[in-house]
Amino acid sequence: MSDVNISKLKGIVGDAYVIDSPSEMAKYLKGQGKPAVVVLPASTSEVSSIVKLANEKNVKLGVGGAVVDTQGITGGIAMVMSRMNRILEMDHLNLVAVVEPGLLHKDFILKVAEAGLNFPPEPYVIETSSVGGCFAIGDSDSKSFEYGPTRTFLLGFEMVLPTGEILEIGNKCIKNVSGLDFIHFAVGSQGTFGIFTKLLVKLLPVPEAKKAVIGTFASMHKANATFNTLIKRNVHPTRMNLINASLAKIAKPGTEGQLVIIDLQGFKESGKNIANEVASVLTLGGGSDVKIIEEGAEYDQVINGWLKVRAELNAKPSEIVEFVVGPMKMPQALSQLEAQTGDLGAYPGIIVEGLLGYVCLALPEGTDKLALARKVNKLAMSLGGNVKGLLGHKLKAEVYNDAEMWKQTTSLLSELRQQFDPKGILNPGVSLEA
Amino acid sequence: MLSQAVVKRLKEIVGEKNVVTDKVGLLTYGYDGTLLSGEALGVVSPTTTEQVVEIVKLMNEQDIKLVPRGAGTNESGGTIPSEKSVVISFTKMTKIHEIDTENFVAVVEPGVINFDLQVELAKKNFYFPPDPSSFKASTIGGNLGECSGGPKCFKYGVTRDYMLGLEVVLPNGKVIQTGGRNFQSEPGYDLTRIIVGSEGILGLVTKVFVRILPIPRAKKTMLALYDKVEDASQTVADIVAAGIIPTTLELMDNLLINTTEDFTHAGLPRDAGAVLIIEVDGYPEDMDGQVKTIGEIASKIAKEFKVAQTAVEVDQIWTSRRSAFGSVARVRPSYGVNDITVPRSNFPKAIGGVLKVAKDFGVTIGVVAHAGDGNLHPLILFDQRNKEETETVHAAEQALCMMALDLEGTISGEHGIGLVKKKYLDKEFTPAAMEAFRKIKRSFDPSNRFNPGKIIDL
Repeated sequence: MSDVNISKLKGIVGDAYVIDSPSEMAKYLKGQGKPAVVVLPASTSEVSSIVKLANEKNVKLGVGGAVVDTQGITGGIAMVMSRMNRILEMDHLNLVAVVEPGLLHKDFILKVAEAGLNFPPEPYVIETSSVGGCFAIGDSDSKSFEYGPTRTFLLGFEMVLPTGEILEIGNKCIKNVSGLDFIHFAVGSQGTFGIFTKLLVKLLPVPEAKKAVIGTFASMHKANATFNTLIKRNVHPTRMNLINASLAKIAKPGTEGQLVIIDLQGFKESGKNIANEVASVLTLGGGSDVKIIEEGAEYDQVINGWLKVRAELNAKPSEIVEFVVGPMKMPQALSQLEAQTGDLGAYPGIIVEGLLGYVCLALPEGTDKLALARKVNKLAMSLGGNVKGLLGHKLKAEVYNDAEMWKQTTSLLSELRQQFDPKGILNPGVSLEA
Repeated sequence: MLSQAVVKRLKEIVGEKNVVTDKVGLLTYGYDGTLLSGEALGVVSPTTTEQVVEIVKLMNEQDIKLVPRGAGTNESGGTIPSEKSVVISFTKMTKIHEIDTENFVAVVEPGVINFDLQVELAKKNFYFPPDPSSFKASTIGGNLGECSGGPKCFKYGVTRDYMLGLEVVLPNGKVIQTGGRNFQSEPGYDLTRIIVGSEGILGLVTKVFVRILPIPRAKKTMLALYDKVEDASQTVADIVAAGIIPTTLELMDNLLINTTEDFTHAGLPRDAGAVLIIEVDGYPEDMDGQVKTIGEIASKIAKEFKVAQTAVEVDQIWTSRRSAFGSVARVRPSYGVNDITVPRSNFPKAIGGVLKVAKDFGVTIGVVAHAGDGNLHPLILFDQRNKEETETVHAAEQALCMMALDLEGTISGEHGIGLVKKKYLDKEFTPAAMEAFRKIKRSFDPSNRFNPGKIIDL
C-alpha cells in the first residue's frame, strides 16, 4: 500500500498532471522500481507543495527532466519536470540566461544558438536530457579542456529543498566568492540536496568559426598516437575524440575502422591553419579518408554522430567502466588495456577523449563490472589517473589499503546528505556508497 | 597562554624552531591585509601532512581552535586569530612535488608562493592562470582558501576553476583526498569546490593538484585613455557585445593613474579621467583582427588608443596596475579596499554609486576595477589613527556593499568574506542559503574547531 495522497496531489497540480495508471506512467519512467504516481508540476510553488506533502507521510520522491529513474521510489512519487520548460530570460549584455529545469538540453542549445550565443556543455543523452539534469549530473565532457566542466556554467539557481523550503542563490556576476560555494557544490549532487526549479546559466559568444577534421585508422593505437603528436605540437583543439571500430558505425554510418573526430572552434584565421596542421598530422600518422569539414550541415552531422555514441554509453551506466589517465599517458593505457579487453577495435565499445585522458568502455554482456573496474583502476593509477568518480575513490582507497579514508569520505558524504535531507526522501536511488 | 606541556608537545611535533609563543612573534601573526588584528596563543608551522594531523589531534584534545594562515595578504580578515586559538602557518610547506606539463597538472604544497610556481612553470612555457595582484607574496593555499581572482578572470575564471584535487585534514584529524589529477575524480559530491573559498573553516589543505596551461602563443596589450570613467565602461560593454573575450579589461581612475605614476613613472597621462588596460591572447594569426576590432570600438569614445609594441611597454603597463593598492599610501596612510561586483551591465551604475558614496560620506575614493567582470576595487583613503574618520570609512564601506547588492551584485567577487564582510552576508543571502552554509559547516566541523567565526557563525 502506498501513502501517496493522490487527491491532494491533484489539488496541487490539477487532475491532468497526476498520472497513476501504470500503462500511462511507463513513458516517464526507467528502471525496475514501481512508483505509485507520476506528477508533473508547472511551478516552483507546486514543486514545493508536492515535496511538503511527501514529507508529511515520509513518501520517497524521485525527480527527472523527461524521465525519472525509479530506483528506490517504489510506492512513492516520480516527479517529471518537463512542464517547467521555459527560458525566462536571455540577457545578452551579461551573457546569461535564466531557464527552467525541464527544458530539454538540446532545445536549450538551439534557442541559445538562435540568440547568437553559445552553451558549450554536451547533452548527456540527446533525446531526454534536460537542463536541470545537466547540472544535477554536472559532468565534464569532451569540450571541457577548452570550456571547463559543466559546473562552470552555473551562476545561481532556485531550488526546492528536501523539506519543501525554497532556496535562491547566486547572481549574474561572473565572479562571485561570497559565502560558501553552495552554487557549484550543488552541481553534480544528483538531486540529493534539492530540486532545481530555476537555473541561472552562463553563456559565451559564438565562436567565429567552426571546423572539424575527421579520419579513420586501422588501429586504436595509431589513431591515439596522433593525439600525442598534436599535444606535443601545442595544438589543443576543442574536441579530440576517438571512437573504436565497433561504435564508429553509429557515429558515421559506413565507417571502416576507428574514427577520429577533431573539433576546432575559434577564430577564422587560426582555424584554417590549425585544420591544415591537424589534417597533416592525421595523414602522416596513418589515417585514411582524412577530411577537413567546413560546411555547417556536415559539421553538425559529425558532431551529432559523436553525441549519439556518447548518449548510448551514458544511457547504460551499469554497463560501462570509465577511467582517466594523464592525456600523454594514453598510449600506455591503451596497450595495457588490451591485455584485459583483447583487440580494442573489436571490443563492444571504446571511446577516448584525448585532451582529458578519458576512456569509456562499453562492456561485453556478462562482464563482472567491479572486477574489471578494479583492474582498470590499477592500470590507471600507475598512469596518473583512476576510475572516474565515487567508484574510483573506493578503488583508490583499496589500492592505498586505506579503509579509513574511504570510511571518512563516505561518512562525510552521508552527513552532508542527511543535513539537507534528514528524512532521506529525495532521490533515494542515488547511492553515495559506490 | 598555552601551558608548558602543550608547547612542549607542539615542539615535539614540528621541532623547536617551528613554534612561536613569544609576545613579539605572536604580534606579527595577528595581522593580515585588513585593518583588523587579533592575538593567537601560539603559532605553529608544520612541514608535513602527518604533523598537521598531530597538531589537529592535540588541539582537539586541548579544546583549542586552529586558524590556518598562508602569507596573510588576504583582504577579508580570514586569517585573523580568534580567541583561544593557535595559528597554523603553512609557509613552511613549500614543496613543488611535481610539474607535469604533458598532462597539464602540478602538485604543490599549500605554502608555495603563487609567483614561485609561475617562475617554475614559465621555464617549461606553462603557467597557472589565477594570479591575484598579491601573487608575489600570496600562497597557493591562501589563494584557494579565499578563492582569489586577479586580472585574467574574464577569460580564465577564478582559483576554483584550476583546482583539480586536494588532500585535506578534517577537523577530526582524519585525512581525505578530494578530486584527483583531472576533472572526473570527485567522490559523489564535488568536495573540492566546497573547500575552495571556505577560508579554512571546513578543513586544512595539505596538498593541491592544480590545472596548468601552456602559455598562449601570442598576446597583445592595449591601452585606452578616457576623459571620464563612464566612457571606459562603454568600451567594455561594446567589446563583449562584439563577441571578443579579452583576458583582461582593467580600469584605473584618475586618482590611481596619478598615484601609480608617482611610483612607477610608466608614462600614463596624469590628466586622463580613466585608463583601460585591454589584453587578448591566443594564436598569433588571430591577434591583428581582434586588436583592430577593439581599436575601432575603443576609438569611438577614447581620447587615445595605443597598442603596446614591446615587452618593456607591456611590463610598464602591468607594473602600474599591480602597484595600484600600495601606491595610494603616498596620499593617505591607510586604505580600505573593497571587492564588490555587479553584473557587467550595471557596471556604469556601480561607478556612479561609488562617486555618490564618496560625496555622501566626504571621503576620498580611488577606483581600480576588473571591468569585464563587473568587479570594482574602490579604495577609500584615510588615516586609521583618526577614530572619527575611521568610523566614517566603515560606514562608507557598508554603503558600497549595499549599493552592490541593490545593483543585483555580490559583496565579494574575489577577496572572500572572513570577518570584514561577515556582517553583511545575510543581506546578500536568504535565510535558507545561510542555513545551507551552516549545514555544510556542521557536516565538516560540528564542534566549530577550524577558523571559528569566519564567514558564518554556527
